[in-house]
Amino acid sequence: MKSLTDAVLIASKDLRIEFRTGGRLVAMAAFVVLAAFLFSFAFDRALVDGRSLGAGLVWLTVVFSSTVGVGRTFHLEDEDGAFRHLLLTPASRTSVFLGKGLANLVLVWITSALVFGTIVVFFGIRSPGPLLAHAAVLLPGSVGLVALLTLFSRVSSHSRLGDTLLPVLTFPLLLPLVFFGSTASARLFLGRPWAEVSGPVRILWAFALVSAVGSALLFSQVAED
Amino acid sequence: MPIDLKKARTIGFILSGSGIALVLMVHWMVMDWVPTEAVQGVVQRIFYIHPPAAWTTFLAVGISALASLAYLWLEDERADAAAVAAAEGSLIFGAILLTSGPLWGRIAWGTFWQPEPRLTLTLLLWFIMLGYFLVRGSVDDPRKARRYAAIVPILGALDIPFIHLSVEWFRSLHPQAVVLKPEGPTADPDMVVTLLTSFGGFTLLFLGLFTLRYAVELGDRWAQNLPSPSTSQPSGVAA
Repeated sequence: MKSLTDAVLIASKDLRIEFRTGGRLVAMAAFVVLAAFLFSFAFDRALVDGRSLGAGLVWLTVVFSSTVGVGRTFHLEDEDGAFRHLLLTPASRTSVFLGKGLANLVLVWITSALVFGTIVVFFGIRSPGPLLAHAAVLLPGSVGLVALLTLFSRVSSHSRLGDTLLPVLTFPLLLPLVFFGSTASARLFLGRPWAEVSGPVRILWAFALVSAVGSALLFSQVAED
Repeated sequence: MPIDLKKARTIGFILSGSGIALVLMVHWMVMDWVPTEAVQGVVQRIFYIHPPAAWTTFLAVGISALASLAYLWLEDERADAAAVAAAEGSLIFGAILLTSGPLWGRIAWGTFWQPEPRLTLTLLLWFIMLGYFLVRGSVDDPRKARRYAAIVPILGALDIPFIHLSVEWFRSLHPQAVVLKPEGPTADPDMVVTLLTSFGGFTLLFLGLFTLRYAVELGDRWAQNLPSPSTSQPSGVAA
């Protein structure tokens, strides 16, 4: 219980800093809108169905924008040594990871909503399907995504390759997520019943569970400065 | 228990030599002995190389992941050396796998590459192992580099079940197993013997190269006298 309280405290601290400075969130939001705008020019909508294309683009934009934003998780605190002080608090490494992950999850949810809206608008998707069902698909996907990105952003922040390393390490691991996420979202865009979507969603939950537990357990190995 | 590097090198040479001999024998069997498959013709002979390469790649990833896990737990130099040796093996045998597959696909499917789940995820597994070496090479502190890199094959190994899951899910184009089946092999006995010989050759070759690389890695660390977490000299190494 204390771990969860600590995690919530760390997440609220991170989110307060984020909403006061707005650095990552603004960058992620701008990235999302501009990427969707460019995508709308890259594909001829007279030749391809916006609904089946849109699902894949939603997931790719979520992955790319999250990599941009979550990749900077530790930069601010590393610059002024605050992360070392955070590790000296009684909070466990798992709490620190959960807190950082929780804050990142909120940012990813906000930008994901923006991704969904901009793709629907720019690709002229008139009936995208029930929003709650889309959120139910995005939830497990974002958990798995944020868990892996938060863990590896700690690694990339200590590497000479910097932010270049993060996509190289995470994109191969994220393929199942893009695979099953796009499948589920495409079925919702095409107006298929939930019974046809629940299979990929269950796999997304399995992926989220494996990623979150694995990352939380391994975080203590990369946490130290 | 200290590692006798000289003994390890000898074992490595014996295993690699046996592996090379068996792989050469498989090449003779493939060219002169085994019958040609009726449906696919000559191109099917790539299968005597492709599945054994796949097996050794997954074996190497598995060993690298287990050794990395052992390193994170025990901080023992020997586990890290084993992880490096296996990771290099996974890149080499993965390259054979990813070259032989498209060569077969060009004839059988009419294209070098299909967005087929097992192919795609195997390629990604190869990139995951490449990431292992990128992390090791780009973090300045050697101890930190080893710990950071160790988490890569562990998460990579966790990805393997999703490879099989996606094959089931997407009704893959990938050919199904004809030898390793619960009801027993359905292929011609000569084909089975050739394939099993190839499996044996590839496994011995990998284990031989792994042992040699492991001995070189430990010897190199001993020579450089890298600081160990617990002692001033790498633990468990004897010249």
